[in-house]
Amino acid sequence: MKTLRQSHTRKWRDGIFFLVMGGLSSSFIVLIILLLIADITFTSFTEFRNALAKPEIQAAFKLTMASCTVAAIMSVWVATPLGYILSRYRFIGHRLIDTIVDIPIVLPPLVLGLSLLILFHQPFPFSKWFGEGFILDEFLRQTLRFPVSFSWPAVILAQFTVSCAFAVRTMRVTFDQINPRAEDVARTLGCSRAGAFLRIALPQAMRGMITAGTIAWARALGEFGPILVFAGSTRFRTEVLSTTVFLELSVGQLDAAVAVSLLMVAMAVVVLVVLRAIGAGLNG
Amino acid sequence: MSKTVLFMIGSIILVAGMVYWLFNNERSVGRPTASNDSKPNPTEGTKSGESEVILLCAASNQSVIEQIRKQYEDETGRKISVQYGNSQSLLAQLEISKRGDLYLPADESFLDNAKEKKLVEEVIPIATMPIGLVVKKGNPKQIKTLADLKRNDVRLVQADPEAAAVTKVARRILEKSGEWEAIKEATKAFRSTVTEVATDVEIGAADVGIVYSPVLVPFTNLEFVPIAELEEGISQVSLGITASTNQPSAALHFARYIAANDRGLKTYQQQGFTVGMGDTWADVPELTIYAGSMLRPAIEESIVDFEAREGVKVSRSYNGCGILVAQMKAGQIPDAYFACDMEFMSQVTDIFPEATEVSQNELVILVPKGNPNKVASLRDLTKPGLRVGIGHEKQCAMGWITQNTFRESGMQQELMSNVAVQLPTGDLLVNELRIGSLDAAVAYLSNAAGAAEFLDAVEIQGIPCSTAIQPWSVAKNSKYPLLADRLFQKICSAESQEVFVSEGFQWQLGSKQVNVPKTTTTQETTAPAVSDKE
Repeated sequence: MKTLRQSHTRKWRDGIFFLVMGGLSSSFIVLIILLLIADITFTSFTEFRNALAKPEIQAAFKLTMASCTVAAIMSVWVATPLGYILSRYRFIGHRLIDTIVDIPIVLPPLVLGLSLLILFHQPFPFSKWFGEGFILDEFLRQTLRFPVSFSWPAVILAQFTVSCAFAVRTMRVTFDQINPRAEDVARTLGCSRAGAFLRIALPQAMRGMITAGTIAWARALGEFGPILVFAGSTRFRTEVLSTTVFLELSVGQLDAAVAVSLLMVAMAVVVLVVLRAIGAGLNG
Repeated sequence: MSKTVLFMIGSIILVAGMVYWLFNNERSVGRPTASNDSKPNPTEGTKSGESEVILLCAASNQSVIEQIRKQYEDETGRKISVQYGNSQSLLAQLEISKRGDLYLPADESFLDNAKEKKLVEEVIPIATMPIGLVVKKGNPKQIKTLADLKRNDVRLVQADPEAAAVTKVARRILEKSGEWEAIKEATKAFRSTVTEVATDVEIGAADVGIVYSPVLVPFTNLEFVPIAELEEGISQVSLGITASTNQPSAALHFARYIAANDRGLKTYQQQGFTVGMGDTWADVPELTIYAGSMLRPAIEESIVDFEAREGVKVSRSYNGCGILVAQMKAGQIPDAYFACDMEFMSQVTDIFPEATEVSQNELVILVPKGNPNKVASLRDLTKPGLRVGIGHEKQCAMGWITQNTFRESGMQQELMSNVAVQLPTGDLLVNELRIGSLDAAVAYLSNAAGAAEFLDAVEIQGIPCSTAIQPWSVAKNSKYPLLADRLFQKICSAESQEVFVSEGFQWQLGSKQVNVPKTTTTQETTAPAVSDKE
C-alpha cells in the first residue's frame, strides 16, 4: 500500500518536473513560432511573390548565398587550426589570443564596420614598412586591381570577421571534448604532429566542424552593421538580404521587409537542415 | 581517400566556384536598367574612361532616387551607382574613405556638417519637407493640436532629437514656444529614424508621431496632420558634390538632372516633397552672363574653372554697363548680370528683382608713371592744356560716376573743358594713357591693376560718390537659376576674392536685397540714359 502511494507520488512529481521543464522550454519555442506567425499574417503570399520577383532582391539573394557560404567555409578553415592550437597547447600569450578571438563577438557591429573601413582607407599601421602614406585600399585597387571595400569581397570580409570568431569558439570546445590520448598514442607509434592532427583529431572533430560551419553561416546571414558601413548597400553590387530589409524598412515598405525576412528564415531553415543532415551522415 | 580529405577538397572547390561566380557577376553587374550600352554616349561633359558616378544616398530617399536613376540611365546612357545607408554612416564613410561623388542625406543638417569638414563643395537645393503629425487613416483619436499629444490616451513617439533632423527642427520650434519639455515628457519612445516613427503608428505601437510628410507616401494606412504649432518647421533636402570626387563634371551632370524641374524634381513632387523652381534640364546647359568690362579680370578665371568643373558652357558678354542695359532692354536677357554699379542694376528691376552687392571699386586719377604733370587732386586736372580721358557717361557706370564726382567737386565745367576723350571702358582709357595720347584719365583703380609698371593712381579724396558698388543678380526668368547661383558661389570663393583684391576691388559681400528701381532726382540730371549703341 505504502509502495503504491510512493509510486503515485513519484509519478505526480515527475509530472510536475515535466510540466516545469516543458513549460520553460516551450516558452521560447512558442515565442519563435508566434514571431513567425505574426510575420506570415502581416504579409501575403502575393507580397512574398512580388518581393521575390524583384531583380534587386534576387541579386541580393544570390550574393547572400554565395558570400555566406564562402565566409562560413573560410571560417571553418581558419577556426579549425586555431581552435586546435588553443585547445591543445599552452604557450605565452595563450590567454591574450583567446581574448582577441572574442573581440569581434563583443564589439558593436557598427564599430567593427568602421574599424574595417579605417583599416582599409587610412594610412596603414606600420606604413613606414610599406612606404609613407601606404593605404591598403589604394594598393588593392590600383596595384592588384582587386578592390575590396564597397565591393563583394568587403561583404565576405565583414561576414568572415564575425563568423570566424563564433567558429573558433565552437572548434575550441570541440577539440576540448576530444580526448588527446588517441593523438598521443598515434605519436608514440611514429605519427607526426601533423599526421595525428589530420588522421586522428580532424575525423573526430568533423561533427564540430559542421556545427562551426552552421553557426558561421547563420551568423553571416544575419550580419548587417559591418556590411552597411564597410561594403555599403549598393543595389546589385553589395546588397545582401539583411541590408535589403533595412532599405525596405527605411522607405516604409513593411510588406517587402517582412517578405524578405521570411525568405531569410526559409533560407536559414533549409541550410541548417541540410548541414545537420550532413553532420548526421558523417556521424553515422 | 578519407572523408576528411574529401571534405577539405570539396570545401575548396565550393569556395573557388563561389568566388568565380562573384567575379563574373561583378563584371557583368547585370543591372537590367543600366545596361543600355547602345545609347549614345553623352556629350562633352563626360571624358572617356570616366567610371560610374557614386551617389551616397540616405535610405529615406531610396524610392525617389531609384526612379530618377533609372530614368537618367535610360535617357543619357550614363551609369550611376547608388549606395544607400543612413545619413550619418554615409558621412562617416565619406570622411574615412573619401569615396563617393555625390552625397544626398535625409536633410540639410548633415550637409552643413559635411561642409564644415570640407567634404562637400557645391550644395544644390532639391526639395523641402513640411513637419507635422502622423496618425492612422481617419484620425481615430482626433489628434489635431499640440495639446492632444499630451493626452493620457495618446501614445506619442518621436525620432531621436540628437540624430534625426525632424525632431531637431521640432525641438527648436517647441523650445521657442516653451512646449518642448511637456512634449518630451509625453513621448513614450524615441526612435532612431523618422521612418521608424511612421512604422510604429502603422503597426499600432503608437497613436501619433512627429514626421515629415513625404515619409508617409508608402504608408497607405496613415494620414498627415499639419498643425499650426509646427507650421514653420520645414526641412530642406539638398544634394552635395563631394570635394574628393575625381569626376566633378559627371557628378554634376547627374546632380543637375536630379535638380531639373522637368526631370528629377517631378519625381520628388510625385513623392510628396515640395520642390523649388529648379533648372530646366539640358545635357550641356549654356549660361549667359552679362558683366561690366571692368569685372572681366576679376571673374574670368573663376568662370573658366566653373565651366571645366561643371561641364557646362558660360557665354559671357563683357561691355560697358550702359550698353549691356540697352541690350537687355532690347530683349536680350542673360541668365545673370554682374553690373559695374548699382545704378545700372536698378535700371533693370523688372528682369532682376533682387541683387547682391559683391564688391566696390574706387574711382582714381590715373597718370603716367612718375606723375610728370604733378596731378595730386581733381583740381589739378583743370590745368590748361592737360589732356584728360574719362568714361562715357551713357555707356558705362564709370562715366556716369565720373560725372557725379565732377559735379560733387563743384568743378564740373572746368574739368570737362580738359576732357579730350570719353570712352566706354576703363581699359581703353588705360591704353590711351600708355600710348601717350592722354596725360591723365579718371578710371577705376582696378583698371590700373594690369598696368602698375606704367601708371600711377592718385586717390580722389572727400567725394563719397566716387566709389562704385558691383551687384550680382540672377534673372527671374532664367532657365538655370541654380546653375547661375553656383557660378555666383564660385565667384564668392576664397580664391576668387583674392583675385578681386589683386585687381583693385574691395571685397564687400552683402546679402540679397530687393533691387529698387532707379529714381531720378533733380541733381542727377546726367544720369545714364539707355543708349542703343551696339
